[in-house]
Amino acid sequence: MSSHNENSKLPPLDLSGWRWLPTFLMVVGGFLTLVGALLSNHYNNLREFGTSWLMAFMFYYSIALGALFMVMIHHLTDAGWSVGIRRFSEHIASLLFPWLAILFLPVALLGKRIYAWMTIDPAQNNVVAAKLPIFTVPGFWICSAIFFAVWWVLSSQLSRWSLKQDESGSVECTRKLRWYSGWGIVAYAAVLTLSGVLWMKSLQYQWFSAMHGVYFFSTCAWSGLATIYVIAAVLLRQGTLAPVLQKNYFYFIGVLMLGFTLFSAYAEFAQYFVVWNANVPEETFWYLIREHGNWWWLSMLLIAGKFFVPFFILLPAAVKTNFKVIIPTCILIWAMHALDIAFNVFPALHDQGYHLKWIWLPLGCLMLMGGFLAKIFLHKFNSHPPYPQRDPRLLEAMGVSQHAVRDLMAANTGGAK
Amino acid sequence: MSDAVTNLEELKKLAPPVELQRAPVIEGNKGLGWLTDKLSVFAEGKTPLWWWILFLPAAFSATVIFPVCLFYQVFTGVGVWGNNHPVMWGLDIVNFIWWVGVAHAGTLISALLFLTKQHWRTTIGRMAEAMTVFSVMMAGLYPAIHVGRAWFDWFMFPIPNSNGLWPQFKSPLMWDVFAVNTYLVVSSLFWFMGMIPDFGVFRDRATTRVRKAIFSILAMGWTGSARQWHHYEKAYVVLCGLCTLLVFTVSSIVGLDFCTSQIAGWHATIFPLYFVIGAVFCGFGMMMVLLVPLRKWCGLENVITLSHMDKVAKLALVAGLVIDYIYAMEFFIAWYSGDTYERWVFGHRLFGHTYLYLGWTLIGINVCVTQLLWFKKIRSSMKALFIIGLLINIGMWCERFVIVVGSLYQEFLPANWGKYMPTIWDIGLYIGTLGAFFMLYLLFVKFLPVIAIQEVKGVMPEGDPHHPLGGAKKGGQS
Amino acid sequence: MSKNEAPKIYGLMAEFNTPGDLLRAAEKVRAEGYNRWDVFTPFPIHGMDKLMGLKNSLVGWVALAGGAFMFLNIAGLIWFANAFDYPLMVGGKPMFSAPMTFVPSYIMLIMGGALGALIGMLGINQLPRLHHPLLAKKRFALASRDKFIMVIGAEDEKFCATETKQLLESLGGANVDIVEEIA
Repeated sequence: MSSHNENSKLPPLDLSGWRWLPTFLMVVGGFLTLVGALLSNHYNNLREFGTSWLMAFMFYYSIALGALFMVMIHHLTDAGWSVGIRRFSEHIASLLFPWLAILFLPVALLGKRIYAWMTIDPAQNNVVAAKLPIFTVPGFWICSAIFFAVWWVLSSQLSRWSLKQDESGSVECTRKLRWYSGWGIVAYAAVLTLSGVLWMKSLQYQWFSAMHGVYFFSTCAWSGLATIYVIAAVLLRQGTLAPVLQKNYFYFIGVLMLGFTLFSAYAEFAQYFVVWNANVPEETFWYLIREHGNWWWLSMLLIAGKFFVPFFILLPAAVKTNFKVIIPTCILIWAMHALDIAFNVFPALHDQGYHLKWIWLPLGCLMLMGGFLAKIFLHKFNSHPPYPQRDPRLLEAMGVSQHAVRDLMAANTGGAK
Repeated sequence: MSDAVTNLEELKKLAPPVELQRAPVIEGNKGLGWLTDKLSVFAEGKTPLWWWILFLPAAFSATVIFPVCLFYQVFTGVGVWGNNHPVMWGLDIVNFIWWVGVAHAGTLISALLFLTKQHWRTTIGRMAEAMTVFSVMMAGLYPAIHVGRAWFDWFMFPIPNSNGLWPQFKSPLMWDVFAVNTYLVVSSLFWFMGMIPDFGVFRDRATTRVRKAIFSILAMGWTGSARQWHHYEKAYVVLCGLCTLLVFTVSSIVGLDFCTSQIAGWHATIFPLYFVIGAVFCGFGMMMVLLVPLRKWCGLENVITLSHMDKVAKLALVAGLVIDYIYAMEFFIAWYSGDTYERWVFGHRLFGHTYLYLGWTLIGINVCVTQLLWFKKIRSSMKALFIIGLLINIGMWCERFVIVVGSLYQEFLPANWGKYMPTIWDIGLYIGTLGAFFMLYLLFVKFLPVIAIQEVKGVMPEGDPHHPLGGAKKGGQS
Repeated sequence: MSKNEAPKIYGLMAEFNTPGDLLRAAEKVRAEGYNRWDVFTPFPIHGMDKLMGLKNSLVGWVALAGGAFMFLNIAGLIWFANAFDYPLMVGGKPMFSAPMTFVPSYIMLIMGGALGALIGMLGINQLPRLHHPLLAKKRFALASRDKFIMVIGAEDEKFCATETKQLLESLGGANVDIVEEIA
C-alpha cells in the first residue's frame, strides 16, 4: 500500500520520447532480415532464414495466445480484478488475425525449406506415411488456414462484444462474451495444441510427445503474463489505467506468473523424465540432439533461467508488486521464452550446435516483427477506450468491495432486491 | 480508491445490471451470532435418524466386511484376488488410484481456491479436506497389502537393518510410498490446523464438561488474538501453497508408476498430468455426491448455496474437459507416432473384446455425460448433480480399470495374453473401504465443525471493517 | 507472594460489536502510547496486523527451513543408500542422478515444509497451552462468536486500572472488566 502511495506521488510517466522505437526496430530488423534472407539464399537455400523467421513468429504467436487465454479466463471466471488488463489483452490477442497470419505466410511459402517431412516421399518413410493426410503440403495449408480462422473468430468476436459493452453495459454483451469464451477455451486448447504440433514439433517429425501441447500452452501463458505485467505497469505509471489497477492486482499477476513458472517446469520435467527413464530410441533422439555442442549449454541455461531464477525471484509475497524487481524478471522471461522456442526449433537445422555466426538473423526477425506488431498494437490501443468502460465488475476493479457493490445495486433498484 | 470516481451517483451508474449480481456467500444472513449457531448446531444437537440409517451399514461394512477381506487376504496371500499372469495389477491398484483420485479434489478446492481468494470456498473447504484425509487413508492401504507379505512393509522405508539393504530409490513405486505418506500427513495437518480456531468455538459453546474438556484439548489454548491470527494466516498460506504442489505431485508420481515403463498404452509423456486431472475430476464427482445430501440434511442450504454447487459443478466440468483433452491427445499421439502397438492398444480399448464395455462406459460418462454440466439448468438441479457425481465416480473407476488391466492383458507377446476377473475378495475389500470411508465421514459430520466457521465469518459483510455492517461510519465506500 | 494479597491483574478487557469499532479503538489506543495490548476476534481482521505493527511472520522461514532440511536429508540419504553404501544399478541409469533424486526429495520437502509451518505456527504462538487468564472470563467466550475483544495488559508502562478503564469506555468498549492472572 505504501509503495502505491509513493508511486502515485511520482509524476506520470511520459512516454512520448519513445515513439521512434517501433519504427526504429522495424528499420533495423527489416535490414537485418533482408540481408539474412539474401545471404541465406546464397548459402543454404533460405533454410536458415525460414527457420529464424519461424522462431520469431512462434515467439509473438505464443505471447498473443497467452493474452487471448487471459481474456477468456477473465470472462469464464467472472473475475473482478482483471477488468483493467482486459482491453489491452484483447488488442494483443487480436494481433492473431490478420497480422500474425500475414507474418506466417513466409513460413508457409518456405515450408519445403523448413520442414524436412515436406520433401520426404511417404511411400519411403512409414513415420510420415502414418501422419497422412495432414502431413502433406495441402494438408499443411488447410490446417494452418483453419487454425487462423478459429483465432480470427475468437479474437475479433471477443473484441467486438467488449467494445459494444462499453456503450451499453447490457447483460447481453456479457453473456455473449462468456459464450464465446466457453466454447472458445475448448477450441483454444485444440488449436493451440495442433498448431504447436504442426508448426513446431513437426520440425522433427519422427518425434512424438503427448505432453507437447500442454508444455506449449504453459509457455504461452507464461510469456503472455509477463507481457501483460509490463504493459499494465507502464500504463499504471503513465496514468491511463490508474483508475482500474490496484497495487494488489499486480500481486495476482505475479502469483499467476509464479504458477506458470512452476507449471511449465512441471510440463517440461514430466516430458523429459518420461522420455529419459523409458529410454525408447524413437523418443530419446530428440533430447540427445539437444545435448550436442552449445545446445547443451542452452539447456542448462533454460533450466536455470526458465525455472530456478524466476521461481526464487517470484516466490516472496511482497516482491510481486515491486516493479523494479519484476519488470527485469519479465524481460528475463521474454528472453528465456525466446531461447526456449529456439531450443525447440533450431536443432532441427543445426543438430551439432547452433552456428552463432547467424545469431543476428533471428534477432533481426524478432526486431522486425516486434516493431511491426507494436505499431499495430499502439494504433489499436489509441483508437479505443483504454479499459472496459461498463464491465459488470468495473466497480470491484476500482477497489469497491463486493459487499459495497451489492449495496449500490440495491440502492439502484430502490432497495427492493 | 482512485480519485477518478468520487461521488456516489457516478458509482451507482457503474454498478452491474441486476442479472449479473454476485451471489452472497451466505443467504439470509442474520449476523455473526446467528451464523455461529447455525454452523455448530448440527454437531451439538441430537443425532438425526438419517445419520443412523447411513451410519449403521457403513459401520457394518467397515468393521465386518473390511477386516474379514483384509485378514483373509493377508493370511492367505495375494492369490485370493484375481491377480494372475499377465495381469499382476488388478483391482487393488485400480482402487488405489481411484481413492487417491477422490482425495485430490478436496485439496484442490481447499488450497487452490484459497490462494485464488475465492470466498465461496470457505463453506465447502472443510468437507473437501475431510474427504481428502479419509480417502488417502483408504488409498494408502492398498499398496501396503498389494505387496503380498504385509509384514515386510517396513522394507519400503529407509530403516538401517542387519541385512545392509536399502530401498531402491530409482523406482516410482518407491516414490509412491513417500508421496502417499506425505499426502496423508500434510492433508491431515492442513485439515487439523484449519479446525483449531473452530475447536475454540466449540470449546466456548460447550455445555457439558466432557465436551468442554475434549474441545479444550483440541483447541490447544487458542484465544484468537491478533498475534495468533497473524502467524496462523501465514502458516495457512504456506500450507495451501504446499498442498497445491502436492495435488500435482502425488498423482503425477502415481502416473509415473505407469509411464516410465514401455508398455503400450502406459508410456505417454502426458501421463503424470493425466492422473492429476483424472484424480481431480473423480474427486469433484465425489464432492457432489457428498455435498448434495449433506447440505440438505444438515440444514446448510443457506450456507452451501445453489451458487456454490453451481461452481463445484463448473469445476467438475473444467476437470472433465481437460480429461477429455487428454483422452484426445492419447488417441492423437497413438495415431501420430505411427507406433503399431500403441495404435493396437488404443484401438482395442474401444473396438477390442472383453473390456470394451468399460471403454465405452468411460467415454459415455467422462466425455458425454460431463457435457451436461454446460447447462445452467442441470447445474441448478441437485438431483442431476448427485447422479452426475455418482456417474463420474463410476466413469473414472472404469477409466482406471481400462488403463491398468487394458494395457496388461494383451502385451507385446502372445505369451503375455490372458484375462483378468476380480474375485469376491477384491470386491469385498473395495466395499469394505467404501464403508470405512463413509463411516469416518459420517463421524466427522456429526462431531467436528463441518464448515470453517471462522473463515465464513471473515468473508461476511459483518467481517469487513469498511462495510456499514462491519462498523464503518461512512457507508458504501472503502 | 503472600496468600492474602489480592490476585495479580493480567489486564483490562473491553468488548466491541464490530470489527470497524475495534479498528478505530485500536488506532486510539496505539495513539495513546500503549504497546502491550492485543485484540481477540472470531476471525482475522483485515488491517489489524498492520495497525499493531506486526512484522512479517517468521512462520514462512520455519517452513522453508523444514522443507530445505527434509530435501537435503532425503537427497543425501538416496546418495548414501543407492550410490555409496550399496551401489545399485537400475535401468542403466547413473547411481546417483538429479532427475531420479529430485522427485522423492521434493515430496519430502513438502512434508518438511508443512510440518515446519504447523510447528512454527504453534511454537511462535506458544501453543499448545492448557490455560490462559482470559479463558477464565465468562464473557471472553464471545470472542469466538460475535464480539471483538480488546485487552490492555497490566504489564504496559502506561497501564493504570482506572485511567485505562476510562479510556476503553470512552472508545465505546462495553463490559470493561478486570482480568486476573492465574493464581
